[in-house]
Amino acid sequence: MPVSREIVVPQNDRLNVSRNFNLPHSPGIRAGDFVFLSGMLSTDPATGERSPGTMAHETRQTLTNMQHMLESAGSSLERVVKINVLLYDMLEFDNMNAVYRQFFPRDPPARTACGVQLSAGMKIEIECIALVG
Amino acid sequence: MMNAERPPRIVVPPPRRGLDMAAGYGWVQSPAIRAGDFLFVSGLVAIDPDSGERLNGTLTSEAHRAFQNLRLVLECAGSSLARLVQIRAMIYDRIEYDALNRVYRQYVPEGPPARTVWSVRIIDAFKVQLDAIALV
Repeated sequence: MPVSREIVVPQNDRLNVSRNFNLPHSPGIRAGDFVFLSGMLSTDPATGERSPGTMAHETRQTLTNMQHMLESAGSSLERVVKINVLLYDMLEFDNMNAVYRQFFPRDPPARTACGVQLSAGMKIEIECIALVG
Repeated sequence: MMNAERPPRIVVPPPRRGLDMAAGYGWVQSPAIRAGDFLFVSGLVAIDPDSGERLNGTLTSEAHRAFQNLRLVLECAGSSLARLVQIRAMIYDRIEYDALNRVYRQYVPEGPPARTVWSVRIIDAFKVQLDAIALV
């Protein structure tokens, strides 16, 4: 029996950035017990527009949207096993970490952070792998 | 209600005190998470595994230390360098690509894992960071 592969989309249609911005990726793919999410930027869940701001704001909005994505897929933040955090400037690492901590109060996932050039002037992009169920 | 079929998610403890990045540096991360047959390891840099001190150096010296730290975490979780599935090797400058490879091949001489090399900014001015997924 091959392992199943299903596309995962957010319950809130406005957060389906892949479709709304006509990008060649899926919001997430479920493969067996795992769900793999595409990199997420800060998006306003009410309008679907990008929501740029401070590192604190973008981190909070991105992780809030990630929580919604995971719950749409039958997973949750507690079930995340690996996170990759891409920052526009490593000088903002502590500003990211302070907000990040509130979303993962205990047993946080394995994480790698690095500084890269992001699209559309955004400050943070986050992608993750989580267990479903 | 707990599902009996719920796949387990197990936090791997730091193999040495110095590699406890949450305690030593306030980074919000576990050293590694085991999920099913897979091990997801947090990005590793050249930290002294006993003292936790940063060992910033050349790309070569940092790559050796990062690989040795990766080996410690993998073995602590019942895995090994030979069981690596995928590595993202992050370096601070593409010009060091060959220097990375010279160290890299010493640690995965046979059937090396799938790999992508990213040129990125790494925390605390480190020159190498290793991001790995392995089988347990």
